[in-house]
Amino acid sequence: MRLVIAECTVDYDGRLTAHLPRALRLIMVKADGCVAIHSDGGAYKPLNWMTAPNRLVIHPAGTEVDGEKQAEDQWMVISPKDETLTITIHEIHSDTQHDLGDDPSLQKDGVEAHLQELLAVDPEQLEPGMSLIRREFPTEIGPVDLLCRDADNQVIAIEIKRRGEIDGVEQLTRYLDFLNRNSDLAPVRGMFVAQEIRPQAKTLASDREIDWVEIDYDELRGIERPQQKLF
Amino acid sequence: MKFRCERDVIVDALGIAGRAVSGRGGMPGLSGVRAQLVGDSLTLTGSDLDLTISITVTVAGDEDGVAVMPARLTTDIVKAVQAGAVSFEAEDESLTISAGRGEFSIRLISGDEFPSLSEVGADSVSLPSEQLAEALKQVVGAASSDESRPILTGVLLSAEADGLRLAATDSFRLAMRDVTGVSLLAEGQSVLIPSRALGELNRILGQGDKVELSLGERDASFVVGDVRLVTRLIEGDFPNVAGLIPASHTNRLTVNRGDFMDALRRVKLLARESTPIRLEIVDGKIDLVAVTQDVGTARESVEATYDGSDLTVAFNPDFLMEGVDVAGGDEVTLHTIDELKPAVLRGMEGDSFLYLIMPVRVS
Repeated sequence: MRLVIAECTVDYDGRLTAHLPRALRLIMVKADGCVAIHSDGGAYKPLNWMTAPNRLVIHPAGTEVDGEKQAEDQWMVISPKDETLTITIHEIHSDTQHDLGDDPSLQKDGVEAHLQELLAVDPEQLEPGMSLIRREFPTEIGPVDLLCRDADNQVIAIEIKRRGEIDGVEQLTRYLDFLNRNSDLAPVRGMFVAQEIRPQAKTLASDREIDWVEIDYDELRGIERPQQKLF
Repeated sequence: MKFRCERDVIVDALGIAGRAVSGRGGMPGLSGVRAQLVGDSLTLTGSDLDLTISITVTVAGDEDGVAVMPARLTTDIVKAVQAGAVSFEAEDESLTISAGRGEFSIRLISGDEFPSLSEVGADSVSLPSEQLAEALKQVVGAASSDESRPILTGVLLSAEADGLRLAATDSFRLAMRDVTGVSLLAEGQSVLIPSRALGELNRILGQGDKVELSLGERDASFVVGDVRLVTRLIEGDFPNVAGLIPASHTNRLTVNRGDFMDALRRVKLLARESTPIRLEIVDGKIDLVAVTQDVGTARESVEATYDGSDLTVAFNPDFLMEGVDVAGGDEVTLHTIDELKPAVLRGMEGDSFLYLIMPVRVS
């Protein structure tokens, strides 16, 4: 990861043209080739960026580009579709490079991961007759939390969240789309599982014929609640 | 379709039929109220597929017809217009509502998008509305609102030797009421009716002295005066609730219902964040106690008669208060075994009502 704080001007030329006038900015050049230009604000979205794969060509000041002698350093990021991001460096304030190594990827929070673990051990907590095929079953767009079979031998894709929001239903819908393309598994039905599911997420899930189940984390962990039950 | 009627008549009718109109998205027809005019008889119907409510009112009919009106907008308009006569005229895809100097033209919902409604079996039995209203008040509140366990969102109606039994449970408590002299079901038969439908039924029981009940395979119908409510039945096996009731109890507390309720309300002020209310019985002295950490403590002694051993037993205040509230009569009795086993609350007027409640475990 190369981090450059520099006075720069940025021009994008591709599907449209865009110009960032001269200002002090952070230029991130990631190991995979992604280049992002950030200002000092906003949580995550760069002012302009070019995703990998691409080519970064640095023309130092004094070299000729298209017959013109460059007065200042010029970085050109070129995509396979010939889109270009031209960064003209007026003054570098800081230029550092770090090897971040392999990323362990996003970890689910403790409760979510534990719920997955508990339900993998005993999927019948969700539905009688359910058995586990595999945890973190891989699909082209990411792993689905649990892949199980129901009492009728139908495959069920289960997405587990701590809080059930619409996003989670959308995510499961995408997994189901991919899983149902696999003739060895199809038809695959979906089950959305969370400690608490928002009404909109329930409605969306029902509308897409995805079952939803709210589960009691304490009960799964075998913790006795003060309020006893009749049955 | 064309008719004229008093504003208050149509406002009340829309208010009743509109209770079944779906608040959710989905089929556009479900956000509408279907109006059917035959002569001077106007029938308004709202439905969310699970529950359907129809009401028939008398209006000054001019031209028979059927139209599906957007429920909320139509209701808002007729509520807002001046009191007096309101005229409705539906033509093609629009409805014109005229009252006083105002005229509103709104788009109708396509009749094709309104669900076709099933007929329920013709055989019916009649019940005094007041009797059913009392029973529903006692039982419906104990049903669960957790849609992930649909069985528990219903009220079980089952045939008993001398009448009908209504039962509902959310797994923390059970409310059960026997209505004698009503033979709605064959021996051993039972049906599970959504508590929401019975809650709505309770609201319209004032429309007539009697309620006609008919049961189909999948639906139940209730007719009260000019209002008809049809609800789908819940499929599945209701828990064997009769087996949950302890055969005997060792302790018996009898207390004035009003005084007990007032004391519970006061002590509950300090029962926050799921804190239970404790019933502390020592040497015949009975105290209600609530302790919420970092907030405070409430203690109030209760005048009651007690037959049993010293005991501290705790309950969810809302569950206990609901039981005391619906038990009826001047006094209630609370039968307990120990601090962990289910307690039984009964009114003093016979044994037709029973409220079983699980204590909260306290250290």
